[in-house]
Amino acid sequence: MSIPATYSEEQLVLALKNRDRQAFGYLYDHYSAALYTIIRQILRDPDRSDDVLQEVFTNIWRKIETYDPEKGRIFTWMLNIARNASIDTLRSKDFRQARQNQELSETVDFRMESRAVQPNFDHIGLRKALEGLRPEYREVIELAYYKGYTHEEIADSAKIPLGTVKTRIRSALIQLRAHLRQT
Amino acid sequence: MNLEEYISSGLIESCVLGLASPEELEEFEKMCASHEVVREARKRFELSLEMQLLESTAKPPVELKERVLNGLENSGLKPSRGNHAPKAQALTPLPGSVWLRYAAAACLVLLLGSTGLNIYFFTQYKAYIFKYDQLLGSQTQMLQASQAMQTKLGDYQASLDLMRDPSMTVVKMPGTAPHPGSLTTVYWDSRSKDVYLLINQLPQPAADKQYQLWALVDGRPVDAGVFDLDSPSLVKMKNIPLAQAFAVTLEKRGGSNKPTMEAMYVMGKVAG
Repeated sequence: MSIPATYSEEQLVLALKNRDRQAFGYLYDHYSAALYTIIRQILRDPDRSDDVLQEVFTNIWRKIETYDPEKGRIFTWMLNIARNASIDTLRSKDFRQARQNQELSETVDFRMESRAVQPNFDHIGLRKALEGLRPEYREVIELAYYKGYTHEEIADSAKIPLGTVKTRIRSALIQLRAHLRQT
Repeated sequence: MNLEEYISSGLIESCVLGLASPEELEEFEKMCASHEVVREARKRFELSLEMQLLESTAKPPVELKERVLNGLENSGLKPSRGNHAPKAQALTPLPGSVWLRYAAAACLVLLLGSTGLNIYFFTQYKAYIFKYDQLLGSQTQMLQASQAMQTKLGDYQASLDLMRDPSMTVVKMPGTAPHPGSLTTVYWDSRSKDVYLLINQLPQPAADKQYQLWALVDGRPVDAGVFDLDSPSLVKMKNIPLAQAFAVTLEKRGGSNKPTMEAMYVMGKVAG
């Protein structure tokens, strides 16, 4: 059996829907870093990020039948699964409590030290592209995308009208598009 | 809003990133389905986003890949090639949850059974407690009756032994003229000089009266003690060293110093 080094998107999706474990391994190798970055940027917690990444790939494997290529690329689909899982975790009671306890105790995490060689998650991926945006645009994207706030919640917390929130998010996204790597 | 305006509005980006409302998403899907240019704009943004994120150098821990791949076996879906029926898979619950469900059902059945048995046993327990109390009561009664019988039997035995004793002098005391039916008997121990009285027949006295036994010593009455009629066997009286005759009179309760001669019921002379 030949082992393809790369798959086209169509081949990959077909293989995944056929429950091809090799294709799944390729999917992991190819996309795990990007998904992991988003998860880490949302959660800011290495251990929980590991758990969520595992959960995300398990869900990808289980829900691959529901993926519709007509509605977008597979990466977009996976990215949304990863972001939703992260925000669900972020908003879960036990995570918030654990976060609070951690902040209170200020204990030294030795695992953190072993990960110190890793890049700062604040300046890679989508965050890097956001750096070029105006502060008020960065703020709404931070709240909407990384914290998972609804438009109404942003309007409430930032004390700006709902309509302004909507237009500010769209303007921010238009700017963001210009700052992304161009193909 | 024309197509160009729609494409440059930021709506496409907000839908791709998951920041759009359900209504906006629904409209977006319609636009994609009907307009090639919208699809292309979407694909452009998706690709540039993908490029931006894929350049990430922040790889997850190496050991996590093995954990993820091993986790697939536990996710309830056996990895294999070929077509799968997604619906059947979706309806197949996790093995763990099936087991748990059966375990929960079994626990419920056991709980109900246990509760039923508890009620049954408690009812039985109450019934047995009642019966036990009844038995305990009747056993106590029987024990008391048995003790009373033994006491009586002991009395009779002792009386019989006295009567059987060859050294006993028996003095029959028949009724006097006014009381012809009355009769008592004195058993007088010739060695110890103890006096025992057997009441054969005497009328029931008034409550403030009591019978008194007298010994006649050289024509003089000597008090030998008072007695009641309820004694079933021999009644031990006072020790009388010497007497020629015995008599019983009815006196005031507690006895008198001198016998009331009119109230003499029985009298008997000592033989010899």
